Amino acid sequence: MKITAFTKLILVLAVTAWVFLLPIPAVATLLVLELVILLYIKRDRMTMAAIGTLTVFTGMMVVLQLLFGSPLYVALTGGLRMFVMTTAFLCLLASTRIQDIAQALVEKFHMPYEYAFMLTTALRFVPDFLSDSAITLDAQSCRGYSNRGNAFKRLYAYLAVVKPLVMWAVAKSDTLALSMELKGFGPNTYKNRRPMRLHLGDYVTLVIVIVLSTYPIWVKHI
Amino acid sequence: MSDTAIRITDFYFAYLNSDLVLKDINLEIQKGSFTAIAGPSGAGKTTLCKAMTGIVPHYYGGRYHGSVEVLGEDIRGRKISEIAMRVGIMMDDYESQMVSLTAGEEIAFGLLNHGFSPEEVDKRVSQALADVGLPGRENYQLDELSGGQRQRLLLASVLACRPEVLILDEPVSALDPDGARSLYALLYKIYQQHRMTVVVEHDLNYLLPYMTDLVLISGGEARVQGRFEAAARAAFAQEDLRENLPELWLVKLGLEEKYQVRLGSWRTEEEAEKELLQKFQGGGKA
Repeated sequence: MKITAFTKLILVLAVTAWVFLLPIPAVATLLVLELVILLYIKRDRMTMAAIGTLTVFTGMMVVLQLLFGSPLYVALTGGLRMFVMTTAFLCLLASTRIQDIAQALVEKFHMPYEYAFMLTTALRFVPDFLSDSAITLDAQSCRGYSNRGNAFKRLYAYLAVVKPLVMWAVAKSDTLALSMELKGFGPNTYKNRRPMRLHLGDYVTLVIVIVLSTYPIWVKHI
Repeated sequence: MSDTAIRITDFYFAYLNSDLVLKDINLEIQKGSFTAIAGPSGAGKTTLCKAMTGIVPHYYGGRYHGSVEVLGEDIRGRKISEIAMRVGIMMDDYESQMVSLTAGEEIAFGLLNHGFSPEEVDKRVSQALADVGLPGRENYQLDELSGGQRQRLLLASVLACRPEVLILDEPVSALDPDGARSLYALLYKIYQQHRMTVVVEHDLNYLLPYMTDLVLISGGEARVQGRFEAAARAAFAQEDLRENLPELWLVKLGLEEKYQVRLGSWRTEEEAEKELLQKFQGGGKA
């Protein structure tokens, strides 16, 4: 069943609300469901690493809460809620192209097109930036850059890599801006695309979202 | 109707807080020509390209005098995105000009911005990719494409707008010699489909088989311009411009000068070899 980026975004927002609205066993079930979905969509090293990092981060958060005097139950539920919310975002990113998310944000959520475009452009330049930084690091290493010594020394030495990288990025952004100007970047960038149409899967999902989001109301009256 | 596609008259230009980059440019580029613009580094070739598309002075600002007419219209006061639909430009830093995540979206970007319908965009995207030898790669991520393929993709994104004039600024600067030759062969194929082409290239050896016209720039001035053969002869006569000529023509014009002969208009080494063997075989004079 295919659902659009719009519905997925709604689902992520809904999950953020559900972790506070639903009883804890239901939130735990949600987590299991999310993990199954995530691993079904993408079972590569990056996904595993993301889950691993998230687990460590959640553990740290639970320990911190305990250190600050929160009861164990509160610390654990806090950690669980954060884990569920973040995993929902991981599911969204694993299953949706960033350009579709940007289009949904502009078309359905009326986000200004400039901000939505920033999302895709930032992602577009990540590989370039990584490759540029590797080249700069090699070049500066040939000129005597070394990352030995204590943290301060290493940080100071790293300026030799950061400075050319920043200059490079500024020059590239100038060319990018000119290229966008030549290509007529403006409100039409998203307006003229094929409109995002909702299908059966979207409607079913949205009904589920409404039902679960109104849980506290109908559980009281039924 | 005039045969001139680009007419630059008494044009002077200086970027903000800089000296004159272009001086007294009077240039006519004919419709249907494949024009090469060459010259030493810092001569003003890139700025001249940008002047032809309105990027200077409209985008960068600066001081200027004179006029630039493209396809019969003065480009003063026109939006550069409007000019780009008629005069497509591909700048030298191709990596930074790409704005999208996939090949199809990269080509579609300009078309969507100019209000083409999604159906028309899809048609043009497929056509443009096929034209540059990348058919069916609409959904490829940019980082799945090699440097040469990205270069072609950028060319496709310009071609998709179907401009009447194509301007390329050092398109092969980041390519190996084989990649460069292959890109120029492709470009010539595109040119033959009735698209006027202007290429800035410091190594004219690549363009020798294809160019019909030549402009040589030095110190911000257009020192030589016209049909390739006449322009090459004029450049050969000036000591400081000679080094810009293709090696084969340096040999040809050198031989002509030394032996007082008239040789053919060589475009390839094979043509040169054939004629030289005929005329100079056995060590005899022509």
